[in-house]
Amino acid sequence: MARKMLIDGEVSQTNAEENHYDFDLFVIGAGSGGVRAARFSANYGAKVGICELPFNPISSDVEGGIGGTCVLRGCVPKKILVYAATYGGELEDSRNFGWELNEKIDFNWKKLLHKKTEEILRLNGIYKRLLTNAGVKIFEGAGKIVGPNEVEVTQLDGTKLSYTAKHVLIATGSRAQRPDIPGQELAITSDEALSLEELPKRALIVGGGYISVEFASIWRGMGLTVDLCFRKELPLRGFDDEMRAVVARNLEGRGINLHPRTCLTQLVKTEDGIKVTTDQGEELTADVVLLAIGRAPNTKRLNLEAVGVELDQAGAVKVDEYSRTNIPSIWAVGDVTNRMNLTPVALMEATCFAKTVFGGKPTKPDYKDVPVAVFSIPPLSVVGLSEEEAIDQANGDISVFTSTFNPMKNTISGRQEKTVMKLVVDAGTDKVIGASMCGPDAPEVIQGIAVAVKCGATKEQFDSTVGIHPSAAEEFVTMRSVTRRIAASSKPKTNL
Amino acid sequence: MVYKKFPFSISLSSSHYISDPKILTSLSLQHRRSLTPYHSRRRGFAVARGDSENGAEPIRHYDFDLFTIGAGSGGVRASHFATNFGASVAICELPFSTISFETTEGVGGMCVIRGCVPNKLLVYASKYSYEFEESHGFGWKYEAEPKHDWSTLIANKNAGLQQLTGIYENTLKNAGVTLIEGHGKIVDPHTVDVDGKLYSARQILVSVGDSEAALDLPSKPTKIAIIGGGYIAVEFAGIFNGLASEVHIFIRQKKVLRGFDEEIRDFVGEQMSLRGIEFHTEESPQAINKSADGSLSLKTNKGTVEGFSHVMFATRRRPNTKNLGLETDGVKMSKNGAIEVDEYSRTSVPSIWAVGDVTDRLYLTPVALTEGMALAKTLFKNEPTKRDYRTVPSAVFSSQPPIGQVGITEEQAIQEYGDVDIFTANFKPLKATLSGLPDRIFMKLIVCAKTSKVPLHLCEEDSPEIVQGFAVALKAGLTKVDFDATVGIHPQQLRSL
Repeated sequence: MARKMLIDGEVSQTNAEENHYDFDLFVIGAGSGGVRAARFSANYGAKVGICELPFNPISSDVEGGIGGTCVLRGCVPKKILVYAATYGGELEDSRNFGWELNEKIDFNWKKLLHKKTEEILRLNGIYKRLLTNAGVKIFEGAGKIVGPNEVEVTQLDGTKLSYTAKHVLIATGSRAQRPDIPGQELAITSDEALSLEELPKRALIVGGGYISVEFASIWRGMGLTVDLCFRKELPLRGFDDEMRAVVARNLEGRGINLHPRTCLTQLVKTEDGIKVTTDQGEELTADVVLLAIGRAPNTKRLNLEAVGVELDQAGAVKVDEYSRTNIPSIWAVGDVTNRMNLTPVALMEATCFAKTVFGGKPTKPDYKDVPVAVFSIPPLSVVGLSEEEAIDQANGDISVFTSTFNPMKNTISGRQEKTVMKLVVDAGTDKVIGASMCGPDAPEVIQGIAVAVKCGATKEQFDSTVGIHPSAAEEFVTMRSVTRRIAASSKPKTNL
Repeated sequence: MVYKKFPFSISLSSSHYISDPKILTSLSLQHRRSLTPYHSRRRGFAVARGDSENGAEPIRHYDFDLFTIGAGSGGVRASHFATNFGASVAICELPFSTISFETTEGVGGMCVIRGCVPNKLLVYASKYSYEFEESHGFGWKYEAEPKHDWSTLIANKNAGLQQLTGIYENTLKNAGVTLIEGHGKIVDPHTVDVDGKLYSARQILVSVGDSEAALDLPSKPTKIAIIGGGYIAVEFAGIFNGLASEVHIFIRQKKVLRGFDEEIRDFVGEQMSLRGIEFHTEESPQAINKSADGSLSLKTNKGTVEGFSHVMFATRRRPNTKNLGLETDGVKMSKNGAIEVDEYSRTSVPSIWAVGDVTDRLYLTPVALTEGMALAKTLFKNEPTKRDYRTVPSAVFSSQPPIGQVGITEEQAIQEYGDVDIFTANFKPLKATLSGLPDRIFMKLIVCAKTSKVPLHLCEEDSPEIVQGFAVALKAGLTKVDFDATVGIHPQQLRSL
């Protein structure tokens, strides 16, 4: 089979030229984006090599593992912990449904940790097999770029291997950042949090993003005392303000202590634990302090400056819409490009890359209406524009529909936690341009809604869809009255 | 002109059954009365069609514009929206009881009192046993195995239902609907008798539902025989199995859930067996005998099974049309007693209408709701509205796992479209890799090659929640391309679609 490859927009028969390169594609980083790109490119007939650091649940400059953040120290172990933590609340709720439980219910963290490690090892093995089955050659070691068509892999024993490649793909992902404050080395990041030896009794979490919020829920569900400090008025900056308030309310309702408008100034080790001082003058003590203040792209040790690959201010690799860097033979996908840092998006970018470079069909990833979820307990999930984004971007009026209700289960369990659902509609076209939900099963509900939004569904189509009953999802098709209508002219700015 | 200026500033409550009551701006009684003569002329639509056939009818004064018999899903929805559109409405309903007999029911109807709502609550209760088992793999340990107390569940369930029925009553009252307690009977095309008192109405709506007896057991069954293979039987099998009863299900067919997609039927049957439910297929009950020790034995065409503490019939239901005076009024009914209606929900008598289970169309609450709404629009908003039964999504709350579906089955697709592509996935969910339980998930997408229409069938935890959004997408003309173009939310089941 003749292999067609795209070079500067032209397809050429290059059986002769290929032989100059060891590989058609060399991928640095075997995470979500890297593995997908490698496999799919190989499926198109490319000869692919991939390198990755040796396995360790905790990442570092010298350790990582096939599967990457998502599989080893992100999405997958996180969801396992969320499942485990959710049982805590469920057990409480079951009593009013007639279940008699002993007061003494034990949660064995070590057992969970052991099972979680088993699972990520299993997945690590599966990802390896996926690569080898696709005919991709795997190298264990640290990769760096030495020229537009040359990479160097430093193996564990120190030996360096050099390979030439027609195309090089950077997919090295990102890593947790640490603040530059005294005592920060006493704190942990999410990597360690997912693999703690012992479950602490008191935890302090710093950060307002989804990672902090999720860990707050996880640890609270496991029975810890949790304090959450964040810089703004509400957590989850960038999300719809109304929904951010719902999440904050739910966190408090579950017993998490929120500290808004708060940053840490220092950490000190004491007999009683780690004592932190905040810029609000507060002093808090915890057994564990988790720093979740942001993640930075992993571009430092790739030798990119020498090769001339442009980075942005955050240190992310700059790419065009096809994921190509300023060097024509070098590409990048996933968190290292800091576009939308989500696994399914990395997969999409990688799929488009493989199609563009080896499938003969230049394809741009589409970032419109990407659904996301924050696995707090209960979770938040959204697709499309937030109310604020809609007001900002829309040409005409916006209609907002909201529904707030106590889920049926809670009417018996007695839990005081309302589910909130919201639709944002372009009043001119009647298209649903945003949907969000905070409540049990929100991510499952929003996935289907996301398909509808992608189809360009109108509010009328939503309304004419019969509900599934009894469910929470049916609320999305029964919102009959406008909660508020915002005229095109008014543009409130948010700074929460 | 007065009609148009009429204050329509009433916020339309969305979900009555699970939200707090929203106070609706009610129409003042005075306003309504002064408008009635205008209304009679204005709302010529529904009456005029009958008039043109029967000749001019003198404009009578009626007690009400609409009298609804039966305050269930369909009846309440129609009545509530009718008042919003300016009509004067009365509704009658039997007094509340959690057990439905000929003389009791309650505002809210079957859905609220002895159907969807209590069933879902029982499903939740039974699911916990499964969650306890699952949680072991996630590190949870119980000093003693959790035990279930049936009477606590029933008491709390009944209290919940009582509260809900109160919310429904308030919704009606706040909307200005006159609520009358009693047994309604049609005397003539414009008159209803409620326990001896007569009321006249321009239009009469029959929404009495069906005659399914409620589940009200003083104690949990130890060994139960469930007869029937439809969704009710399947749901109760799951409920009792989850609460540690020994469950035997007797079905006439080879598989449960006739009418559902074949692969889904296989998958659910398999999952139910894995959880310990015993199947007796191709068996029809012939007799039930009581033994000396008080237990029941069930004799079927294949033999006898003994030792049951309870036998439950979950077979086909009958519309509740006896004792309504329908035959004497000339309302046409089908063989099984359902009221026959046209696409506007009108019966063979021009001033008598029917919505919901009593018409034996689709036995689903949301469908009854849309029928009720469509009728209110037809009669009182001058917007004749037909019901649209295409792509109605539905769910079966079988425990572990439930089914969600929208669109036609594979068998129907092949028949209608010929060329179809089937996409299925059958896998162990992340949760099960840790719990160690034999759960699997089954998902199926059917793409009709020519039209790219995409019916969807799912069988797994949360599938009813998932399918709702897809149902909207289907309405919006979903194709496989749109499906694939949608990015997945990760990590969760749906990504595999």
